Amino acid sequence: MNTTRFMWRSGWITIVVVVVGLFGAWVLLNAVIGGRCDAACVVGSLSQALRLATPIAFAALCGVICERAGVVDIGIEGKMLMSAMTCYAINLFGFQVLKDSMGAEAAGSLSRLLAVGLGMLSALLLAMLHAVVSIRFKVDQIISGTVINILAIGVTGYMYRSFLAENLPAGPGTFPILNIPFLANLPVIGPILFQQKPLTYVMLILMVAVHYVLFFTPWGLRTRAVGEHPRAADTLGINVFRTRYVNVWIGGLVAGLGGAWFTLEAVDVFNPLMTNGLGFIGLAAMIFGKWNPFGALAGALIFGLGSSVTSTVSIFRPDIPSQIPQMLPYILTIIVLTGVVGRAVPPAADGQPYEK
Amino acid sequence: MSVTSESLPASSGGSPSRANLWRALGAWLTRSSVYMPLLAIGTAFVLGGVVIWVTSGSLDTVFLAYEGLLRGALFKSRGLSESLVATIPYIMLSLGIAVGFKAGLFNIGVEGQFYIGAITATWMGASLQGVPAVIHLPLTILAGAAGGALWAAIPAFLKARTGAHEVITTIMMNYIAFRLTEFLISGPFRDPNAAAVQTPRVAPNAELWSFHAIPDRLQDPLNALLVGVVFAGLAFVVARWALPRLARRYPGMGWAGAAQTLGAKAGFAFAVGALAFVLLPALTRLAWPFTDPYDRLHIGLFVALAAAVMVWWLLWKTTVGFELRMVGANPSAARYAGVSITRNILLGMSISGALAGMAGMMEVLGVSICRCLPLFFSSGYGFDAIAISLLAKNNPFGILLSSFLFGAMRNGADLMELNSGVSKYIISLLQALVLLFVAAPPIVRWLYRLRAPAGREESTAVTRGWGGQA
Amino acid sequence: MTPALQAIGITKRFPGVLANDHVNFELERGQIHALLGENGAGKSTLMNILYGLYQPDAGEIRINGQTVTIASPHDAIARGIGMVHQHFMLVPPLTVAENIILGQELNVPATRPLGPLAVLHRREASRRIRELSHQYGLDVDPDAYVRDLPVGAQQRVEIVKALYRSADILILDEPTAVLTPQEADELFVIMRGLAQQGKSIVFITHKLREVFAVADRISVMRAGQMVGSLSPAEATREKLAEMMVGRKVILAIDKEWAHPAQPLLQVENLRVMDDRQHMSVDGVSFDVRAGEILGIAGVQGNGQTELAEALTGLRKAVAGRIHMAGHDMTHAHTRQMIEAGLAHVPEDRQKHGLVLSFSVRDNIVLCQYYQAPYARGVELQFPVIEDYAARLVHLFDVRTPGILTAVGSLSGGNQQKVIVARELTRLLSHHPEQDGVAPILIASQPTRGLDVGSIEFIHRQLVRARDQGAAVLLISAELDEIMTLSDRIAVMYKGHILATLDAATATREQLGLLMAGIVHGEDGADHNRSSIHP
Repeated sequence: MNTTRFMWRSGWITIVVVVVGLFGAWVLLNAVIGGRCDAACVVGSLSQALRLATPIAFAALCGVICERAGVVDIGIEGKMLMSAMTCYAINLFGFQVLKDSMGAEAAGSLSRLLAVGLGMLSALLLAMLHAVVSIRFKVDQIISGTVINILAIGVTGYMYRSFLAENLPAGPGTFPILNIPFLANLPVIGPILFQQKPLTYVMLILMVAVHYVLFFTPWGLRTRAVGEHPRAADTLGINVFRTRYVNVWIGGLVAGLGGAWFTLEAVDVFNPLMTNGLGFIGLAAMIFGKWNPFGALAGALIFGLGSSVTSTVSIFRPDIPSQIPQMLPYILTIIVLTGVVGRAVPPAADGQPYEK
Repeated sequence: MSVTSESLPASSGGSPSRANLWRALGAWLTRSSVYMPLLAIGTAFVLGGVVIWVTSGSLDTVFLAYEGLLRGALFKSRGLSESLVATIPYIMLSLGIAVGFKAGLFNIGVEGQFYIGAITATWMGASLQGVPAVIHLPLTILAGAAGGALWAAIPAFLKARTGAHEVITTIMMNYIAFRLTEFLISGPFRDPNAAAVQTPRVAPNAELWSFHAIPDRLQDPLNALLVGVVFAGLAFVVARWALPRLARRYPGMGWAGAAQTLGAKAGFAFAVGALAFVLLPALTRLAWPFTDPYDRLHIGLFVALAAAVMVWWLLWKTTVGFELRMVGANPSAARYAGVSITRNILLGMSISGALAGMAGMMEVLGVSICRCLPLFFSSGYGFDAIAISLLAKNNPFGILLSSFLFGAMRNGADLMELNSGVSKYIISLLQALVLLFVAAPPIVRWLYRLRAPAGREESTAVTRGWGGQA
Repeated sequence: MTPALQAIGITKRFPGVLANDHVNFELERGQIHALLGENGAGKSTLMNILYGLYQPDAGEIRINGQTVTIASPHDAIARGIGMVHQHFMLVPPLTVAENIILGQELNVPATRPLGPLAVLHRREASRRIRELSHQYGLDVDPDAYVRDLPVGAQQRVEIVKALYRSADILILDEPTAVLTPQEADELFVIMRGLAQQGKSIVFITHKLREVFAVADRISVMRAGQMVGSLSPAEATREKLAEMMVGRKVILAIDKEWAHPAQPLLQVENLRVMDDRQHMSVDGVSFDVRAGEILGIAGVQGNGQTELAEALTGLRKAVAGRIHMAGHDMTHAHTRQMIEAGLAHVPEDRQKHGLVLSFSVRDNIVLCQYYQAPYARGVELQFPVIEDYAARLVHLFDVRTPGILTAVGSLSGGNQQKVIVARELTRLLSHHPEQDGVAPILIASQPTRGLDVGSIEFIHRQLVRARDQGAAVLLISAELDEIMTLSDRIAVMYKGHILATLDAATATREQLGLLMAGIVHGEDGADHNRSSIHP
């Protein structure tokens, strides 16, 4: 009873803080760039914020899925990198094969979808490795995650130099913007929410789906129990290992979607190390969101907004050295981790291998 | 802990037959601490071969590639010395990571500390001019170490104060360090006279001498003085180590008295130092094996070797190391014993960062062609160093060997690419595989159907979870 | 009538230990069967086999006469076996209802085809739980969060959890360890009720008193073997004790009268918060004099842990004063306290007392490594340390292959001996008159989980420390231990010390009432303030 009321109150507080924060950011932005951010610029910034938040949100969601089951996943970065590389390669070469048998338009759509699928699969492979190493062989999960990251850098670097660096044929390009009928024409909301590329919509839908699964279904209940007190779950006949395996695998697929964003939505090239720490920032967003999907989305949006504001600044003020605003998301991540925004309690068994 | 602690199975009586000897050797090898790392390395190379075979479509390429790798690493001209040049930063960075690991800290941020160390050392090296090497060089080394230490102290402070997990904060500090150095090099610290975007050149007296330049360097008496001081210090350490042991081995020969007095040790040290000061300039003039002016091997090698010995001594022979290891192994027990966790997190991370910063310093002062920091000064040493220290199980002497392995691979990769057309990035793949197998010995054991060793497996555990208080 | 449960010739071997050696066990329907044995006798192994957590190497299990294999807890649950573990198997951040239905969830019927992704039917689950709790007289609120419940309520949730799975056979593993004698009696009433409704109950304990209070049948295990099975009428305390230990047990320890001198440890009005910012030590005052043992009795979780941590500098005091030999040490660091003469046998030996991956040698100097003669400057003096460690290992009879063996590979009893050796040697090396240090020993649960031999040894060492003039504060949840060793007994309840009694005259009943918060026969309601926090 008491808690419910408190939650209501804290919900309102959150909304007030967000509104005040957004307004403050806008005022500050205008102060820096000399009052040149008008309504269109605001809508553009917010739309871009959602776009830039997408990979971070996928990473954070992967983190939520794994860590709610008690497996720390520091290898999200590597999985995204792997998927980004795979998506790029499949999109490019799949298109070359397909374009002869069908129109360029259809071949492009098909190869992009194929790329997303195989990109997710490639991330899943790394997730399976992380799962077996950390769950079955009980290696420290942070070390296992680091291994995944380094492995991904090695594999993608090798593939890039061997196949993706030069003499590339023309590819089909990234996903086009997908306007949602009717909704896209709404003022303000339309351009922000409903004129995005498909993976952004997928991310939003997944957020709702994961929230539902985690808090309203037997699978979610078991997952949370396994992450908090695996032995208790075990004594009730729940297979701790299977629960963890499946969650880590699903997390891998989600991270794969995040990787797809880089080469199928953001830009039409692949660079080694192009994920630029966004996987780790996703983890910070997850911690900020207290291991809840919507909280993680909120965290991702803050980072997205940060990046979008920075890019607005660098457009209007080319005299400010670009490196200074570029540091901002990383500094923000550290601030989030220091718990300035409230101390979060992770699942009790997070990071601990289960010994039967 | 070390190979020597494993006793060789004694061949009991009689003359052991050849077969017995082999079996004994095999038994010793399988029980020794190098066995699993060797298996891991071997397996990684085999798997890497499969990858090359599959991507190139021919088995010959595999042999061509590995042959080129070996030749490039050791046998081509300047092959070995270039391998050593790459080994030096690896040693420093992995020592840094090992110190962190022992204190329960996973310092993934050595790469960033490397950059900051490079820039602070460059600043110290370039801003003073005309100061003799005997002062300037130590000062510059110190500046590099201090830069790295300070950069590492930030996440350490945050961890101690707020519990922010160092794995994420140090990675974030990496990205910040990249941007910061980029900004400094292209902005406030740019050399206005150079065409390329780079910092000013460091003073000649702040450089780390190349091996081929040592005879020339020593003609300056102040430089010779520096060498004399170093030799005196070394002699003092050797005397301190040897005298008590001699006294125990040969009692009644006066060793015991010498062991106790400072004078005997100081006298010996002074004598050795003076001898080095007087003789070395002349001797190196007469005969010096390193003549190739393009050979980049520099005296940073000695710094790295000394650092390894220092780290070993610090961790296992001193109260400082005892505390660090206690905090790393069981922070609650450390608190119980009255040890400050905060202090040791700060100390462990700072030592770790100092070693990483020195690695950056040496790349500028000893390797960089312009003896400065160019804009695109990329290393990529940081992640490899994690693999190295895990491969060596955080043992400083193991780190020397593993660092050489990785340095040789990095150096041999170019010739491999030339020889076989296989991208040199296969090296990062090999290294990642080595890391995978080393981090997860059960995988290797499962691959070869080996039995698990009796007793508790020594596994590396990093502080678990996020932001929880230790 | 066939027995509800039969175990025949169960054998289970762990590396180096034969945990169960051809054990036979029989449980009649509607019966409460006490399984008695000291720590490490193999009771828990047997029960974990019956519950499917371990697989036996040999032997047979029959339920209602039918031979079954129980491969997992899932199987056990399906065969009507329920278990209440000594350490509760509850997930604190989940609600009571969620904890109970976990693994056998109720779904909204329409969504059932979705399998594990169906919608949980919370309302129906709450209704079913209320029904069960009403039927068996177990008061639980399905919508409360487990983390907010007191221990007794959590235990009821555990029992309802088993009943929800329609368990006919209930295994209760040391259920009274966390209860006051009075709460234990309430549990016995519940157990009786369950037995009358046809449930068969295995009741594991090592406390003789409880066996007589509730059991219909008593079986005793020792060193992995079933020593015997008898009815309460045939049993006496002495007989059971002898069966448990295998020899005549001296239930009391020889000790001289105490000769208390000046107070060494003085605590005034101490207030300490726990991790959840809850005042768990709330105005405690006492003195411990040189040459006496003050026992702190009380059920676990009444602030003893926080008290010990505050007295050893591991936790900050919010208010009040701590004096050691007259010096104010309230805000001193642990190291200052150690240097002032404090020795501490901590409650959790593996978490606080030892670094398990360190050698015996290193653990022996865990608190002194930086002092002369163990270190000179920053350099550790290993020859000196090794001599010292070898001497202590010999003196305290630590069974270890060598001083360089990792302490984690020793048995629990030997690990505790390492701690006791380290702390007592340091304690007794101090001479109060000479160097102004106060030999004070704080021993928290010093014998928890140990076998009888180690318990006796450690008890003798505590008395020895007292006789040599140390002030000893003994904190223990074992009332027997407190009563055997202490010269005075203070009872702690919800952060207060309710009374301090002379050990010579205090009775078990008196202490039991105090432990339940009841002073002078009145209801302890006024002491219940701030017990349940929002």
